[in-house]
Amino acid sequence: MSLARRLVFGSNPRRTAVRILILTAVSFGTFRWILIPVRTQGISMQPTYESDHLTFVNRLAFVWRPPARGDIVAIRLAGPHVVYVKRIVGLPGERLEIVEGQVLIDALPLAEPYVRNRRPWDVPEVTLEKGEYFVIGDNRGMRVGDHDFGRVDAARILGRILF
Amino acid sequence: MTPFARVGGAVLVALCVGVGWHRWSASEERAVRQRLDALTDAVNTTVSGGMETFVQAADIGGYFTEDVVVDLGKDAAPIVGRATLVGMASRLRRRTAAFRLRLDDVGVRLREEGAAAEVTLTASSMLRDAGAAAESTDAREYLLEMSKASGTWRISRITAVDTLR
Repeated sequence: MSLARRLVFGSNPRRTAVRILILTAVSFGTFRWILIPVRTQGISMQPTYESDHLTFVNRLAFVWRPPARGDIVAIRLAGPHVVYVKRIVGLPGERLEIVEGQVLIDALPLAEPYVRNRRPWDVPEVTLEKGEYFVIGDNRGMRVGDHDFGRVDAARILGRILF
Repeated sequence: MTPFARVGGAVLVALCVGVGWHRWSASEERAVRQRLDALTDAVNTTVSGGMETFVQAADIGGYFTEDVVVDLGKDAAPIVGRATLVGMASRLRRRTAAFRLRLDDVGVRLREEGAAAEVTLTASSMLRDAGAAAESTDAREYLLEMSKASGTWRISRITAVDTLR
């Protein structure tokens, strides 16, 4: 067998073909159902993510534990192809309000080192129900009306953003 | 006829009805999807202005019923009527240098024996205002009600879904 053929097909072409098939199937399954690639669009997660940041959603992240405060999650809209990327700040059962840009959980200020600029947003108190989380983007320097945030059902959380 | 043949015949008839129903509903579902694809193409077609703008507006208007209602949520008054909707879209179009619409995750559920359909989808839009360098993008989930009249599917209601409340 020539060197070129060996480099392309390996010493045992049949075994190489099987390896390629397995690798293709594993990659397809992984990137379709477990690690879904997403590209962020917009500025609502700055400075953590700039627009056009490529990352992955880990769909197994919340199989063994529920979502936690600080987790950056993907939230599905009508389906999994377009998602919101937001940070969880409120957990089920908690009272949450925003006063002058400061998030208060059960009337105590929440430390948010990831927030750089903070506009004086005011959001009236809400009590999160069972299976409900409160999510916001990290960019609080935006006008409150330009930023999508609020309560979301756990069923809409697709997974955790990997990096 | 033996009982076995009778049961076999019944199963065959049920199978044919099932396959026929599936094929029919799949074709209607496909028709709804094709209609939405055509609407997206019509919206994304670039026109040079003048008469072309009016022609495009009339074309887009054909995808909606006369009494269409667009409910964008609690902070906005509903838009009622095809003429109002097309007028607003035309004015928006004149103010923007670029606009693109994309529909994803389209789910179709037929109702009323195929005369109506409920559609869920995510609409993503990219627009750039005239004179502005940066583009702004937006994505929202919508629930559409569509009805079929004279063989043509038209949107009769658009309701924005509050993914985040």
